[in-house]
Amino acid sequence: MLILSAMYILVALGFALLFSIAGILHVSHGAIYTVSGYICWQLSQAAGINQWLALVLTVLIVGSFGLFLERFCFRPFTGDFDRSLVVGIGIILILQTTIVVTVGQESRSMSPFVAGILNAGPVSVSLERLVTFAIGAALLGVLVWFINNTKPGLQMRAMSQDLQGAIMQGININRVSAIAVVIACASAAVAGCLMGAYINLNPFMGDVVLGKALILVILGGMGSMTGIFYAGLLLGALDATLPVFFSGSVAEVIAMGAIIVVLLFRPTGFLGRAIA
Amino acid sequence: MKWKLPYLSTRGNMAKPGFWAGLLIILLVLPLFIKSPYLIHIINMTFIYIILTVSFRTIMTSGQLPLAHAGFMGIGAYVSAIAAKWFGLTPWLSIPLGALVAMGVGILIGYPFARLRAVYYAMISLFFGMLILSAVKAFAKWTGGAAGLTAIPPLLGFSKVPYYYFFLGLTAVSLLVLYRLEISRPGVTWKAIAQSHLVAASVGINEARYRIIASAIGCLFAGIAGATYAHYNTVVGTTSFSFMATIMLLIYVVVGGVGSFIGPIVGVFLLMTVPELLRELREYVPYISAAIVLIVVFLMPKGVTGLVKSFLSWLAELWKSRRTSDAP
Repeated sequence: MLILSAMYILVALGFALLFSIAGILHVSHGAIYTVSGYICWQLSQAAGINQWLALVLTVLIVGSFGLFLERFCFRPFTGDFDRSLVVGIGIILILQTTIVVTVGQESRSMSPFVAGILNAGPVSVSLERLVTFAIGAALLGVLVWFINNTKPGLQMRAMSQDLQGAIMQGININRVSAIAVVIACASAAVAGCLMGAYINLNPFMGDVVLGKALILVILGGMGSMTGIFYAGLLLGALDATLPVFFSGSVAEVIAMGAIIVVLLFRPTGFLGRAIA
Repeated sequence: MKWKLPYLSTRGNMAKPGFWAGLLIILLVLPLFIKSPYLIHIINMTFIYIILTVSFRTIMTSGQLPLAHAGFMGIGAYVSAIAAKWFGLTPWLSIPLGALVAMGVGILIGYPFARLRAVYYAMISLFFGMLILSAVKAFAKWTGGAAGLTAIPPLLGFSKVPYYYFFLGLTAVSLLVLYRLEISRPGVTWKAIAQSHLVAASVGINEARYRIIASAIGCLFAGIAGATYAHYNTVVGTTSFSFMATIMLLIYVVVGGVGSFIGPIVGVFLLMTVPELLRELREYVPYISAAIVLIVVFLMPKGVTGLVKSFLSWLAELWKSRRTSDAP
C-alpha cells in the first residue's frame, strides 16, 4: 500500500510539475513511465548490464528524451491547451507502438532489484518492497527539497504562481521549464523501472498510472505540492482497503462518485487555488 | 494556464446546394461499386463516428471540453442493447430509448456541472466518463462487464449494405440538424458563452441554461451513435467508450479544425478511415496516425480545414491581384 502511494506520488509529482509550471497536460507521462520500464528491462535482461546500472542509464536516457520533448514538442505550443494535448497523444502512439513492434503485446517480467525477505520478529517484509519504498520516499524528499530550497526550484514555484511576473523578474522560463520536464521524466523513469520489477511490464501499464496521477493532481489541487502528498497517501490507502469491502468495480464506482462530489464543491481540489 | 478559446465563425458558409446534392448522389450509388463488405463496414463506422465527433464539437462550441462523450455513447449503446436483449424490445424502439436516456443523463449532469468552467469542467466530465465505465463493469450481470455484451439483436440483419443506407440517412439528418443549430440562435449563443461568459451574461444570456441545452443535444446524438453502433456491431465492449476513446474524438476535431463544422468530419476520415484502409501494415498502423497527428499539429495551426480555407483565400487574393494588374 505504501509502495503504491509512493509510486503514485512520484509519477503524479512530475505530472503536476509540468501542469503547473509549463502549463502542459502531459498525457504522454504514462507512456514515458512504461517506456522507461522497458528500456531498463532491455538493458538489464538483453544487454546483460547490472540492473542498478541499467536503472541509472534509463534515467539518463529518459531525462535527455525529456529535454528533447521540451524543446521540440512543448515549447512551440506554450499556452495552447488543445494542441499540446494532441502532441502528447502523438507521442503516446509512437512510444506504445514502438514497444508493441519491438517487444510485443504480451507482458514481461523483470527480475526484482533486491531478492530476499527481511524477517523482523513476527512480521516478514519482502526486501524488494522495502527498497522500492525507500527509494521512492527518498526521491520524493529530494524533490520537495529541490522545489522548496534551490534556486531553480524557487523559480519553478514563481512560474507556477505568475508567469508574467516570473518573466519580469528575469527568470529564464525556457530553461526552468526544461529543468522541470527533465525532472518529471526522470522521476517517471525511476517509478517505471521500480514498478516494472515490482509488477510485470506491459505496453499499456502507463494508462492506469496516468489515470491515478490525474486523480492525484486534481484532488490534491493543481499547483499544490503538499496537496498531492495527502491525496497520494489517501489514494494508496483507498486502493488497498476498498477492495476488501466491495468488489473491485463497485469500489471504483464509489471512488469516482466521491471524486465528482469533491470536485463539484471544491473544484480546486483539497489544497489548490484557482487557475484561470 | 490560459484556456485558449477556438475561433468560431458564426457565418453559415455551407450553403452550396449543388455540391451537397452531388455528394449525396455519389454516396447513394457508392455501394453498387464497392463489392467488399469490409470496405462497407469501414464506411459505416465512419458514419457513426462522424455523428459522434460532430456532436462532440457541438458541446465544444459552448466553450466546454466534454471528456465524458464516449461514455455517453456507451450509455446509449448499453441501454439500447440491454432493452433489446433482456427485455425483448425491438431495436427500432430501443435505439430511441437509449438516445433519450443518454440525453436525460446529459441534462441531469448538466445542472450541477454548469457550475464549473473550462479546465474544471473538463476534469469533472473526465471523471464522469470513468464513473460510467466502472458502473458498466459493476453491473456485469446485465452489461457483460469487461468482457463485453454479445449477441445483441441486429437492427437490419447481418448484411452490411442496408446499414449503409440507414447510416447515410441518419448521418445526413444529424448533420443537418446540428448544422442548423450551429448557425441559428442557440449556436450563436454558445459561441458567445465560449468567448466570454461574463459578456454573455451581461447581455442577458442564461449561461447555465444554454450550456445544459448544448450538453443535452450533444449527448442525444452521442446516444444515437452509440445505440445504432450496438445494434450494428451486435457486440459492445467497454474499450470503445473509455477515456482514450474520448481523447481520440478530441484529436479528430483538432486535426480537422475546431473552428469549422466540417473539421470533425475531415478528422474522422483522416484518422479513422485512412488507418483502417491501410490495415495490411498491422501493428505499424498507429505510426501513420501519429504521423498525421504530428504533421497537422506542427504545420497547420487551425487544422486541415483551416489550411484549406487559408489556401482558398490565398488563391482568391492571387486571382484578384492578377485581375487588377491586368486591368490597365
